[in-house]
Amino acid sequence: MIDPLVLLTVLGMAAATYSTRAVGFLALRNRTLSRRATRVLEAVPGCVLISVIAPRFVSSDPRELVAIAVTLVAAARLPLLPTVLISVAVTALTRHL
Amino acid sequence: MSAVEAAASPAPSEWRRAARDTLPMLLGFVPIALVLGAQAAQKGLAAGELVLMTGLNFAGGSEFVAVDLWASPPPVLLIVAMTLLVNSRHVLMGAALAPFLAHLPLRRALPALYLMCDEAWALGIADARRRRAAGLGFSLSYYLSAAAMMWSTWVAFTGLGALFGPAVGDLRPWGFDMAFAAIFLVLLRGMWTGVRAAQPWLVSLVAAGSTYLMVPGGWYVLVGAVSGVAAAWALGGRS
Repeated sequence: MIDPLVLLTVLGMAAATYSTRAVGFLALRNRTLSRRATRVLEAVPGCVLISVIAPRFVSSDPRELVAIAVTLVAAARLPLLPTVLISVAVTALTRHL
Repeated sequence: MSAVEAAASPAPSEWRRAARDTLPMLLGFVPIALVLGAQAAQKGLAAGELVLMTGLNFAGGSEFVAVDLWASPPPVLLIVAMTLLVNSRHVLMGAALAPFLAHLPLRRALPALYLMCDEAWALGIADARRRRAAGLGFSLSYYLSAAAMMWSTWVAFTGLGALFGPAVGDLRPWGFDMAFAAIFLVLLRGMWTGVRAAQPWLVSLVAAGSTYLMVPGGWYVLVGAVSGVAAAWALGGRS
């Protein structure tokens, strides 16, 4: 038997998360957007992605900075899978130094 | 296969295309899911309870926060409020995806949004832009296949982490957590259209990085995203 408070917490989390996922779409799906609004929306994906990984770029550990620098160079030149493999390998290597 | 069945299940080639793009990502999911499971077990969450959470909520960042705040009895309101806060970036993400999903009936768009984690959204929107450039429409099959693979991997490995976590030990020395940074940087390269269009990204990076250093918790994602979007709005008036 699941504890009622645990169930309440989990259902509350699920409702909160789903509302964040649905509301932006529901607000905009029937609108025609201005050119500026379209440009702003085109910038959103990059802004979110770089914000999520921003802590990597301000690490106080020089080994982590080396790892993210190598990852950045690989990502600029190589396809997805080689980039991931190089990045993970270099990160593991620097953490073992 | 009848037309109804064909509409209900993804076309095999779209599924395969999604699998090829998603597999490197799953490499990053597995260790993080195991770590979350192990932490949850330590806090007294049963594997079944955690699987219910990760399956219904499906947003890793907020689940780490919830497990971090977990106690017996759980602080319900605090955890739900933090979940809302950590996931507020989804509002922007859903808005960015809206033009691609707008043609779908709500009974298909709303379930698709349920699976909109950062990685599924990132793959979906990158694919949508490539297809738009090639004159093609949004591929719901591609997006749903990728998202479903992520969902099942996440739920399965958070559950395994809760069951076997204490035996797995620390995975951080093996570097798997860097996979997400690598994936996101490759996706950013795909979105690159020139220095000018990338100026808001720099604003986001600086704002998120400095917030991360100064403010504890998950605020940095929201501050970074909103700062970059504000910069895009300010720059959007020119040219």
